[in-house]
Amino acid sequence: MAVPAGRITNTIRALRFARNEMTQQELADEIGVTRQTVNAIEGNKYSPSLEVAFRIARVFGVPLEQVFRYGPG
Amino acid sequence: MALSFQEKSLWLILVSLVVCFGSYFAMVFPPDATYIRPEQVVLFAVAVVCLVVLQIVGHAVIAILDRRTTTDERDQLIALKGSRNSGLVLATGVACSLWLAVITSGNFLFTHVLLAFWVLAEVVGIATQLYLHRRGA
Repeated sequence: MAVPAGRITNTIRALRFARNEMTQQELADEIGVTRQTVNAIEGNKYSPSLEVAFRIARVFGVPLEQVFRYGPG
Repeated sequence: MALSFQEKSLWLILVSLVVCFGSYFAMVFPPDATYIRPEQVVLFAVAVVCLVVLQIVGHAVIAILDRRTTTDERDQLIALKGSRNSGLVLATGVACSLWLAVITSGNFLFTHVLLAFWVLAEVVGIATQLYLHRRGA
């Protein structure tokens, strides 16, 4: 039986703005990826590895579920 | 449209490949013999040296202009997808070259079809990566 495809969404943009309007580049530098990758994650075009996801959550000081959500596609 | 270091590097490799090997193929085709002549081997060596020099100088310039030269997991994933497409083209080229080696005499056509497919495979791999970088995947 095929598993229905889900979709990972995130709240990174809102979290960045809540944190003194942090830029994508600043976030990228803190988590060790390129600005283009942060942009792709924010646009839900790229799902990061668990390690990067945890690093993002740690930067904002929130649990992982507050940054990423998994819902129906 | 701001390009990342990776994208600039890929464009440099693509342009240098097309310029160096495009010039080489323009000079050796159409062939006037069925075997590779010594001067064509020299021409090939010149093309390879030009390619290496262009890429070293170009990458040095890009690195000076763009200090952010780090790569991340997404870059690696995109590179893998590019390699997959590149490998498919190269495998097709090897098969075509072997077939040509059987049905034609001399080594000119066999060698140059193999070389052309190698260049094409690189171009396809780089084009795939550039597309994925732009799309965001």
